[in-house]
Amino acid sequence: MKALDNFKADFENTLQLSKGLIKEIRSKAFEKFISEKFPTRRDEYWKYSDPSSILKLDLNYNDSGDFKDDSYDIILSNGRIVKTISKFKTGNISDGLDNGDVPKEIFKEEKNPFLNLNNAFAVNGCYLILDSKTKKDVKILNVINNNSDCQAVYPKLVIIAKKNSDSTVFEEVKVVGEGINFVNSVVDIILEDGANLEHIILDDYAKDTYSISNICVKQSKDSNFRSHNFSMGKKLARRDYNIELLGTGANCDLYGLYFVDGENHIDHHTTVEHKKEHCTSNEHYKGILSGKSVGVFNGRIHVHPKAQKTDAIQNNQNLLLTDDAIIHTKPELEIYADDVKCTHGATVGQLDEKALFYLRTRGLNQKEAQGLLMRAYVGEIIDHISNGEIRTRMMNIVLDRLPKGD
Amino acid sequence: MLKITNLHASVEGNSILKGINLEVKAGETHAIMGPNGSGKSTLAQVLAGHDDYEVDKGEVSYLGKDLLEMDVDERACEGVFLAFQYPVELPGVNNTYFLKSALNAQRKYRGESEIDAMEFMDLIGDKIKLLNLKDSLLKRPVNEGFSGGEKKRNEIFQMAVLEPKLALLDETDSGLDIDALRIVAGGVNAMRSKDNATIIVTHYQRLLNYIVPDYVHVLVDGKIISSGDKALALELEEKGYDKIIEESKA
Repeated sequence: MKALDNFKADFENTLQLSKGLIKEIRSKAFEKFISEKFPTRRDEYWKYSDPSSILKLDLNYNDSGDFKDDSYDIILSNGRIVKTISKFKTGNISDGLDNGDVPKEIFKEEKNPFLNLNNAFAVNGCYLILDSKTKKDVKILNVINNNSDCQAVYPKLVIIAKKNSDSTVFEEVKVVGEGINFVNSVVDIILEDGANLEHIILDDYAKDTYSISNICVKQSKDSNFRSHNFSMGKKLARRDYNIELLGTGANCDLYGLYFVDGENHIDHHTTVEHKKEHCTSNEHYKGILSGKSVGVFNGRIHVHPKAQKTDAIQNNQNLLLTDDAIIHTKPELEIYADDVKCTHGATVGQLDEKALFYLRTRGLNQKEAQGLLMRAYVGEIIDHISNGEIRTRMMNIVLDRLPKGD
Repeated sequence: MLKITNLHASVEGNSILKGINLEVKAGETHAIMGPNGSGKSTLAQVLAGHDDYEVDKGEVSYLGKDLLEMDVDERACEGVFLAFQYPVELPGVNNTYFLKSALNAQRKYRGESEIDAMEFMDLIGDKIKLLNLKDSLLKRPVNEGFSGGEKKRNEIFQMAVLEPKLALLDETDSGLDIDALRIVAGGVNAMRSKDNATIIVTHYQRLLNYIVPDYVHVLVDGKIISSGDKALALELEEKGYDKIIEESKA
């Protein structure tokens, strides 16, 4: 259990960097993390993704390194802010807690050990306030900067969309350099009454990276959260969305596209907690798997007793390009209210042979015909991005990263 | 242009085409008629290159080349076009984008430069009028949510844009009302020239009132049992297939 010892040593070595409120939060979170068993495949929640492989790594905490790119407003390198621009209200988590921008309630003890571990290493982090009644467009780069090491990094982003704000946050996660990464990242998002937030997250293939990413969203009355998740396979990649619809009339749209190739792995667990009446959720995730890759999709909709008039839709589609690729897909509906509308569906298949033949009779070769069908397949997700510039950019990136089918 | 010699084809071990002989010259229009299950559509699919069908015997020479050796898309680029009996819906594939990709794939094959967006819009503007299709169909996904008649007109519209040398129309008249039939026929007739040829596969004589064939062939149980001019189609319509089959045996 190499990594557990390293976690302990790293925690103790870095604790002195924190003072006041954040120190207390970190200590409690670490205590909680250590007191609980580290998950294995025997846990239902981790059945198809084995986090215990992380424990074998000789990990070292790292938050150093610099990175420059003019096309982003905010840059984090290994979880530490290296660039911000003054037009956005932002800073590290500790400062946000001290000046009251960040509510300390975000950092409660969690069931999920990786949330606790991330809180335990909240040395830096970054918060972003999207002001009331304003329209903002923010580009964030989250760099995992490795200098041929075996490193653990803990990016943490807190986004607070104030009342009736209307914003788009584009977040790119980029692995640079060589070496093994354990990336335990958390994005905490709070939408106040009537806030409108579109969150686009993009990462890339990374065969030596173990990534556990949690996105936790709390939505107040009449808020609207639109999420576009573009994630690529890694040595181990797990991304969870935990959406809590806490106020009446809240809506969330969750769109996802995942690609996995080679011997990579990808796992998405999404949970939508319908806690109040008249909330809507709409989830559509699509995957393309090739090689000997493994994909997991687990979509949970939990309708609480008070959440009458809930309208929840969930759909997961998968395209398997090779015989050896595997997908585990599972809808999970728990409904405790009686006046609700919930639908779900999951499909697994190959490219439509009839469509391929039709395209080829028009002169497109096999590869071009496949490309056209795949473009259509991913377009169904990408087309939901409202910002035209980002939509076009995402289409190009996605087409470039389509698994090749070998 | 096309010479089919003793063509035998089967699907999943069931023999369907049992020795087809047919020669089509540039400028000609041939109609292949026959009862259900006689192998009409199979012939069209085999010529287009569908790999569900196994060619067991025979030869097909097209413009002096061995057609059966070519891939599906190669045949298309060489000028063979199949108008589908059941056009395939392509969700998410924009009709204009699809057609432009197809045209450019064929131009590339022929060593021509790719057509740009402006030129392309000019080109399809004329053709879409010919087929009396709504402009809005161009922006929609290929065939998705199209009516039966719109799908068939869209096939002929594609043909008009791609300008094939050899057009295979597989039951293009099925599901068309009389007005749509006239439009489709008008589109096909407008494209007839001394340099290209058309093979119409059909169950009914109806379409042949509008697209008048030079030759009519009756296909029964995988073989052409009778050939003639347009009068044969009228005779078929009058007497029915059974009578013609009987006469051919006598």
